[in-house]
Amino acid sequence: MTSTATPVAATPVTAAVGADPPRGRPRRPRSAWLLLLAPVLVFDAVLFLTPIGRLVTQSTHDQAYQRVLKDPLVVRSMLNTFEISALSTLATVVIGYLLAVVIWRRGPLMRVILFALVLLPFWTGVLVKNFAWAVLLQDNGLVNSALQGLGITDGPLALLHNRFAVIVGMVHYLLPYAVFPIFAALAAIDDRLELAARSLGAGEASVFRRIILPLTVPGVSAAGLLVFIISTGFFITPVVLGGPGDMMIANEIDFYARQLTDFAGASALALLLTLVVSVLVAAYQRILRAGGEYEAG
Amino acid sequence: MVENSDRSMSRRTLLRTAGFTALAAPFAGSLLTACSSKSTPSAKPNTTVTVTSYGGSYNDQLTKTLLKPFENKTGIRSTLLANTSLAGLKAQVRSGDVQWDLVELTAPEYLQAVDEGLLEKFDYSIISDKGLPSYARAEYGIKYLSFLFVMAWDQTHIPDARAPRNWEQFLDKAKYPTKRSVYGQLSDSSILEAARLAEGVPFDKIYPLDVDAALRYLARHPGRDKLIYHTANQEPIQQLTSGEVALSTSFNNRINAARKDGAKLNFTASNGVVAGDYFVVPKGARNKEAAFRLMDFMSNDADAGADFDRTTNLTLANTRALAKLPREVADTLPTSPKLADTILVRDDAWWAKNLKQTEQRFKLWQAGS
Repeated sequence: MTSTATPVAATPVTAAVGADPPRGRPRRPRSAWLLLLAPVLVFDAVLFLTPIGRLVTQSTHDQAYQRVLKDPLVVRSMLNTFEISALSTLATVVIGYLLAVVIWRRGPLMRVILFALVLLPFWTGVLVKNFAWAVLLQDNGLVNSALQGLGITDGPLALLHNRFAVIVGMVHYLLPYAVFPIFAALAAIDDRLELAARSLGAGEASVFRRIILPLTVPGVSAAGLLVFIISTGFFITPVVLGGPGDMMIANEIDFYARQLTDFAGASALALLLTLVVSVLVAAYQRILRAGGEYEAG
Repeated sequence: MVENSDRSMSRRTLLRTAGFTALAAPFAGSLLTACSSKSTPSAKPNTTVTVTSYGGSYNDQLTKTLLKPFENKTGIRSTLLANTSLAGLKAQVRSGDVQWDLVELTAPEYLQAVDEGLLEKFDYSIISDKGLPSYARAEYGIKYLSFLFVMAWDQTHIPDARAPRNWEQFLDKAKYPTKRSVYGQLSDSSILEAARLAEGVPFDKIYPLDVDAALRYLARHPGRDKLIYHTANQEPIQQLTSGEVALSTSFNNRINAARKDGAKLNFTASNGVVAGDYFVVPKGARNKEAAFRLMDFMSNDADAGADFDRTTNLTLANTRALAKLPREVADTLPTSPKLADTILVRDDAWWAKNLKQTEQRFKLWQAGS
């Protein structure tokens, strides 16, 4: 039932967390799968665990944790990260849901075209997308010129170097991450459910509220959590599109490492972020599993 | 979808280990050079010195006026990188994998690096100090460069006749209602000094710097909503030429270089702030002898030095070069006695002691508290 939904949404996180032995497969001799895992384990040990280990050691120096948690800038950037991620997630999921429904309702050809339109920006680098937004949103940019040209505004609106711009840039980046899991959930809905509902007299709104929405809840939660997790790590978008008040935790890590050359503090911050994201990743996998059981049963 | 997962993973992994990227990046290159470099006892002609500076037009000028002539004279080649930073230097020295040979640091960064024991002592048996002015000679580096922190404007929006003549006018939002771009960090930018000067504090009373008073002034003139921040030296040139801002802080050489390329920008040296940069050699640098020979060349070669001064309008710490300059060029340099009465000399010692907490304070202020 979830064969279309789960792999699409689960791949990024499984990859991010690292080696996850296959579940429920026929038993093979222990040594065989260990051997197959060996390249991944070596890769992870050298390129992921070693640096993380050094971060841990480094973060224990100079009372780094106490120091960074007392820094008002850190507190501020943590609150910013939470607020910006939450707002971006909300906007992404709402827009992504609408987009997914539109794609789902079209015929095969239109679907291909619409998916291409979703994927095209997805394959474009985040920096390119952000600078494009900066060009559009600046005081003498396209948006402001158009608004003034049409006589809608007198002077330029402040569209760049603020939270609005950061969220616009992030939503643009994040949209595919929401569209795909939600679309997968929609595609998995049995067509006959809707026919049955209609034959019993349900209108469009009722079908949506009582059939489609409940059945896509797991897809939406998965999309929301995935998007939120990715949001917490944004770095370049607040730099290019935000103002100084929009710095997120990754920017603060960069500030500690590069400007203050306080590597212990930067490591402590990086590990705190890792910790929070790990908890979210665990929650994400629970949702996926719960969603699978719900739909399977 | 595979691309999707790979990308999200590598991005986040990268960000989580942000402090370590500096360590990891040079790792690959070191494998290639590690075996060969140790066996080189002295700077042979096929040595390559890795030099780091700030990039943009300045790197082109460094290459043309100093690095190429040095190579022609000695056969020692150099690679010039644009990503100089104390953080990068520190990460390399700490990890024992030193990729850079000659590193540009701001004056407060130099003093911090000395404190933390990250630098090689300069060998003045290789570097002749005949052409080196005494202010530039230091134990662990040479203050090779003096530059001028200035106010700059876009001539298409602000004709020279209406341009600011001092920091009070520059920060006056009634006179210029547009946004101003200022350098977001303080290690070689002097916006806080500028705010004190704008308030009427005389040059000799600027230090010890009253940071709170400077920030209070900036909060009213021009106010946070009229300030945007740049993070790289070439950025204000783009912001000015694209029309994003009409006023910006910058450095005299950057504006001059842009003008030579046809940009309609200008600046005034009046009310400028003179500061200096050091070249240092990281502890454990592979080609330190070649680096010292390059420093010897920079400090003593009259022709190359004069070409550098002429091209950049910056003062190289090389008295032989200064002696060769025509008066009209010498008068425009940051160290010209003609300017001495109208410019402020940055207090490196104060900044070395107060840089970190002031950077944090300024960042917090920018964020609105």
